[in-house]
Amino acid sequence: MQDFLQFKDISKTFWSDDGKVETPVITPMSLSIAEGEIVMFLGPSGCGKTTLMRIAGGLETQDTGQVILAGEALHGPDRRRGMVFQSYSSFPWLTVRNNIKFGTRYRKDISAAEKDEITDRYMTMVGLARYADFYTNRISGGMRQRVAIARTLASSPDVLLMDEPFGALDAQTREYLQFQLMDINRREKKTTIFVTHDVEEAILLASRIVIFSSRPARIVEEIDVNALLSPQDRRDGNADTQVFFDLRADILKIIREEYSHMLEET
Amino acid sequence: MRTLFAFRKRLPRRTEITLGVIGFALFLAAWQVTAMSGAIRPEFLPTPGAVAQAFVLLFTERDFAGDIAISVGRVWFAFFLSVIIAVPLGLYMSTYRAVGAFFEPFIDFIRYLPVPALVPLLVIWFGVGEASKIAVLWMGTFFQLVLLIAEDNKRVPSEYIESGHTLGATNGQIMRHIIIPAALPNMVDNLRITMGWCWTYLIVAEIVAANSGIGHVIWSLRRFVKTPEVMAGIITIGIIGLLTDQAFRFAHARLFGYLRR
Repeated sequence: MQDFLQFKDISKTFWSDDGKVETPVITPMSLSIAEGEIVMFLGPSGCGKTTLMRIAGGLETQDTGQVILAGEALHGPDRRRGMVFQSYSSFPWLTVRNNIKFGTRYRKDISAAEKDEITDRYMTMVGLARYADFYTNRISGGMRQRVAIARTLASSPDVLLMDEPFGALDAQTREYLQFQLMDINRREKKTTIFVTHDVEEAILLASRIVIFSSRPARIVEEIDVNALLSPQDRRDGNADTQVFFDLRADILKIIREEYSHMLEET
Repeated sequence: MRTLFAFRKRLPRRTEITLGVIGFALFLAAWQVTAMSGAIRPEFLPTPGAVAQAFVLLFTERDFAGDIAISVGRVWFAFFLSVIIAVPLGLYMSTYRAVGAFFEPFIDFIRYLPVPALVPLLVIWFGVGEASKIAVLWMGTFFQLVLLIAEDNKRVPSEYIESGHTLGATNGQIMRHIIIPAALPNMVDNLRITMGWCWTYLIVAEIVAANSGIGHVIWSLRRFVKTPEVMAGIITIGIIGLLTDQAFRFAHARLFGYLRR
């Protein structure tokens, strides 16, 4: 489905607490995402990409426009759009297993036995079966993010929203999780929006990269990464390095230009 | 010595207990030495031994155990009344801004009123029976507790709540399955602290037209300058408070073992 998730004329302005200063964050913009696509949002810090993702998740209300999922206009958050946050959102009072099982708690479409089966499947998929009975403050930050990803997948969302989920992790853990996520995406084929500051991460994981301008956000470039580098080659580490580095350089150039616009305006 | 004063480091449990016992023993020794030196007259500062003797006499010559039971009953009943109203109200105040905006200024105002100053008013309203005593204890704890509970709720990370929304939970399910479990360790800690405050208001509650309770015993013996008995009564409150506090701490450690790193 080509227009599985659509942003139609979305705009957003934030106001200071006293209501006197307005900060336009997103100018009216539209974007269509196909089913199974992995779209990476890149752009200068504070440009509004996280706000757009939160609007997609129903956690923020847009001023104008609509978010449409499979032909239906969305209002507020629900289970169809699962979100993984940058900060650790796994629940400390639950074990790894029960955290992941929490993802199935509000599903009425499956039986209790299926909930257990799904929990075990995702726990194994993210490599945490050995830590099933550990509370989450006894495991590392990378493991906690894997718990959050597994919990979100267990809820069976139509769209996976990931807000810099690896942003707080060290380079090795980050790389490990990137490959693990590629593996999960290959199996699950989830429509995903992923906000990141890391250009290499974006190229590695994306079907498409959307680059935003400095605030207020508008789309300055869309890059069909799959057309340049096959997902299989990227996964296997066989991607043409020259294409990879050229793409990285092009993206960085656009982002630098946007940064300098932002600095000029401030 | 260096390991004893390691910056922000935990000590072995046995070391902590030993230090506590030494601190207590030193206090008793200083008290004994001061009392025996004759610098202060025994009517004002009896020896620890005299207080211990008075303690025994309180139990053998008057029904002090009954007074303790009555005071414990009053404190727990008032505390229970505070908790069953403060916990839901505090949760609603921090969940729905309108409820918070409606109650907060009033609660803040009452919270700063000195409870002893309200005693005459409470006696006029509730009479000299049990109700006025419970009201004093309730006033001393409820208005503090409700704000502490509201604050505990506010401190639950927004990511937990937003995760709940995107996992398909309703507002009520988020309250029951996420907010309350997340806030519970801090809430139990605040219950422990406010329980301590409840005991500090006991004397205030039991000096007005009371004929039972630890506060009544202390206040009536004061008139005959029975300082050892008065001190024994005060120490009894301290011991009950310490035991209650330890019970809360034990329950906290058992219930929220997952917080240990």
